Amino acid sequence: MGGAGWLFLFAVLMAAGLLFTMVFFIIMFSDLECDYINPIDLCNKLNQFVLPEHIAHAFLATLFLLSGQWVAFLLNAPLLAFNINKIRGGNHMYDATEIFRSLPNHKKESFIKLGFYLLSFFYYLYRMIVALIADSE
Amino acid sequence: MASPSQQLPPGWAAEWDATNQRYLFVETTTGRSQWEPPVAGPEIVGQEPSGSPPPAHHHGKRRQYAAGQTQAYYGGDSLGPSAPQYGNVPQQPAQLFTPGLAATEGGGQFAQQQQIQGGQQGYYAQEPEYINGPQQPVYPVQPPAQMGALADQFGQMNMGQKGPRLFTTNLLTSPPEPLELRQPPPEIFLPPNSCISPSPLANADSSYQRCTVNALPNSNSLLNKAKIPLGLILTPYRSLKEGEEPVPVVTDTVIARCRRCRTYINPYVQFIDGGNRWRCCMCSLSNEVPQLFDWDQARNQPGDRWARAELNHGVVEFVAPTEYMVRPPQPAVYIFLIDVSHTAIQSGMVATATRTILENLDRIPDESGRTKVSIIAFDTSLYFFSLPPGGADSQMLVVSDIDDVFLPKPTDLLVNLSEARATLETLLGRLSDMFQDNHTIGSALGPALQAAFQLIAPIGGKIMVLSSSLPSVGTGALKNREDPKILGTSKESGLLQAASPFYKTFAIDCSRAQVSVDMFLFSSGYQDVATLACLPHYTAGQTYFYPAFNASRTEDAIKFAHEFGEVLAQPIMLEAVMRVRASKNLRMSSFHGNFFVRSTDLLAMPAVPQDLSYAIEVQIEDTITAPFVVFQTAVLHTTCYGERRIRVVTTAVPVTSNLSEVFASADQVAIATLLANKAVERSITHKLEDARDALFNKMVEILIAYKSSMTAAGAGASAQLAVSENLKMLPVLVLGLLKSVGIRQSAQIPPDLRAYAQALLTSLPSQLLIPYIYPNFYALHSMPPECGTVGEQGVIMPAPLPLTSERLERHGLYLIEDGQTIFLWVGRDAVPQLVIDVFNLPNYEMLRGGKVTLPVLDNPFSQRVNAVIQKTREMRRGPYYQHLYIVKEDGEPPLRLWALSCLIQDRADVLPSYQQFISQLKDKVNGSSY
Repeated sequence: MGGAGWLFLFAVLMAAGLLFTMVFFIIMFSDLECDYINPIDLCNKLNQFVLPEHIAHAFLATLFLLSGQWVAFLLNAPLLAFNINKIRGGNHMYDATEIFRSLPNHKKESFIKLGFYLLSFFYYLYRMIVALIADSE
Repeated sequence: MASPSQQLPPGWAAEWDATNQRYLFVETTTGRSQWEPPVAGPEIVGQEPSGSPPPAHHHGKRRQYAAGQTQAYYGGDSLGPSAPQYGNVPQQPAQLFTPGLAATEGGGQFAQQQQIQGGQQGYYAQEPEYINGPQQPVYPVQPPAQMGALADQFGQMNMGQKGPRLFTTNLLTSPPEPLELRQPPPEIFLPPNSCISPSPLANADSSYQRCTVNALPNSNSLLNKAKIPLGLILTPYRSLKEGEEPVPVVTDTVIARCRRCRTYINPYVQFIDGGNRWRCCMCSLSNEVPQLFDWDQARNQPGDRWARAELNHGVVEFVAPTEYMVRPPQPAVYIFLIDVSHTAIQSGMVATATRTILENLDRIPDESGRTKVSIIAFDTSLYFFSLPPGGADSQMLVVSDIDDVFLPKPTDLLVNLSEARATLETLLGRLSDMFQDNHTIGSALGPALQAAFQLIAPIGGKIMVLSSSLPSVGTGALKNREDPKILGTSKESGLLQAASPFYKTFAIDCSRAQVSVDMFLFSSGYQDVATLACLPHYTAGQTYFYPAFNASRTEDAIKFAHEFGEVLAQPIMLEAVMRVRASKNLRMSSFHGNFFVRSTDLLAMPAVPQDLSYAIEVQIEDTITAPFVVFQTAVLHTTCYGERRIRVVTTAVPVTSNLSEVFASADQVAIATLLANKAVERSITHKLEDARDALFNKMVEILIAYKSSMTAAGAGASAQLAVSENLKMLPVLVLGLLKSVGIRQSAQIPPDLRAYAQALLTSLPSQLLIPYIYPNFYALHSMPPECGTVGEQGVIMPAPLPLTSERLERHGLYLIEDGQTIFLWVGRDAVPQLVIDVFNLPNYEMLRGGKVTLPVLDNPFSQRVNAVIQKTREMRRGPYYQHLYIVKEDGEPPLRLWALSCLIQDRADVLPSYQQFISQLKDKVNGSSY
């Protein structure tokens, strides 16, 4: 298996991990809506995952950039820019005092990210298979 | 139903026609007959009251309506509400489609409506005699000859559909009338038999809870047509002035609640199954009546269910049994965090504060002797005071390690107020002197808060912070971010947001530990009120701001001492949670006010001070089929006397499918309060500019909605700007909001003042908020002789004038007050006699502008002026004590401009005058339809 194969295998695993993170986020948000969890606990829990998620995604994007996978990198660039912008603005963390006001936005964001990771998961899978086939030929 | 013969005008008889199965009406004098019921001529109304039985006799319901009573009083014809709509039916649509009829029909409805309102000025009832000369506005005076017409109005009200009636008014021709703001909100016309109690108190008073519309649209699409924001304005815990009825308490701990929706039993439930079960008014579930519900536990005998307070009162308090406690009721705990840095000592804040605490030790609620207090002083170090019980001397413990705060002693820091009273008194007496020579500059507010939190967290209670400088060291240190260059730009809202996350996370910790924080801020420089106000905001406290406080000015000291004393004496609620329940298909969508939202509809309030207002936006999720809906606010709390209680506030509002009823019952005061809250939120999350645009656009939307659905103009252009009579003051209130310090477009407002004004806008109850955005303006030199003397309802106040400087005369003496400040405006040609009488100075030139205490002199005019000022300070709820400023017409410009900025109907800088504002609105309203 060549470099591209390994890279996309890694990307598939990362995408799966990110996918699960998003599912976790969405479940937590619905829990909050159903009053199973209070906003303070929710924010404490989710805030632990916010930065790791952003870093993981940024790491993946950097790998694509360094290995010259332009299409894959460009796919990830918008989300990377969005995340960086949020961190620079200082509003990437969930704020327990405002959570109910911004809950619809947070849910929407999480759903869009979920969809994005799902698509990118299949795209990486496809690229991995293509790379493997190219290797074996 | 009685036979129609009873309802006929004199001279008519009804005969049963068997072939046609209906009544034939015969006029006995002429022999003329007709099928249609005869119309009672208008001369019938108001003739002899004796002939007609009171309407209550007619429809056998327990509840009497005010309109019905009026009718009985005036002896109007005795048509019951269920009678066919005789007579006035054709008039009704005409009334809906007559914008600006004041101009067209001389003595038409508009004038009549004015008279009705003249008649309803209960608050200032004994007024109509003032005739102060031609410059006075002609207030609706009610000549007795018009009584018949008035009765006619009420008669009509009861004959047609029972509900609010819509009167259209033209904003272009009818200037704002300050007296209208003092009127009660539009009446709530509940359908018959909806309430099981005849008591007029079955619906909560509007000062506790009011809805922005008193006839709820039955679907979201209807609400969207009206464009009126739907919301509730709550002040569940308001103070009671002398003579007001206290909230009844249910002491027998029998609390009937719906099994499904947990609604408390209230006057709008129905008893079914022979009184053994009750049907919930919100979810219609049938519940069992508790066994002890009909048992009088005090006398141990069967009691009268119908006399129970919760079935007769809209506001009621239950004593809660142990199921409502997670721990035994906590004692009240107060920790005073006093800034003793150089600036605080120099300004005299410490001396004033300690003296105030000392003087108010008796007023701190402590009936059961459980109240605990502690004092922590701080500059860049923390000073704890150990107060051993039994009169021993207090001992000061200094902690200068502010990175890792610890309590220097496990005991005696937080002490029982009554046990350590003597020690506490000596400490308070000495505290200011102890730090007299303190030259430390800087403030470790963050570490001080953490220390206080460690001390108080096991119990919960109130931390009172008195600080006169920007927190500069330790956690929570803040930077001076005031930058005159960005004031008035789009970046300004950044200054209104919290600068440091510490104050938010700390607020959350406090909320969890049932700790509430009150902020008293005194800085003369920038103190970042916006960030510090976060703490009271999320812990249900309140912020008080005394910019450039200096105790050597007695007025400053008096104001602070009065307000601080009032706050200390408040019987606060502790460990409270508030939940608002509403009928099916209604949902509380967002919450405004000082609290922490703990779950989708649960508001956590570690301590509830009196007279704070909360606003809640309501959404209609689906079509409402019930004839009326109920809003119920429940506040579970511990009183400061150690009793667990539930305060329940219930308001029922009828549901309507008729857009005109929605408009006719809209409550402009509640709408303005809700809009103020929304505007402040928007200015923080978006920009100030956006908040102003949103306010303006909301006003335009309402006017467009009214024009297109309620006036003949429809979607086309119109020369008038129509709105219903009860919303007539809304544009001027919106203008007042646009010009208020918290929202106003200006590059001169320091961010601290703006942040404080915003804190006020979101927490003042309507009674205080309305004068804050639409100040009161009185002419004192020409007030009628009875004003300022004591009448039946206390001191008689002069009539308020519209807020425009056209009213200012050069020789006059005026009073302008907005609930926070009083301005005494002296015209430049004020006669020496007036200056001598009021200020004890020989002439106008000797008079100095600025903060003063007005002398009480030995002449009637001075005493009357003082009485008016006194009354102004006392007539509202809340701890605020207004500063009095003398403003000379040719005095120093800043003060003059400040006073003039209260006259919101005038043009100021870029801000439009009322006339301009109205024509802007009109252009928008007409422009949108092309």
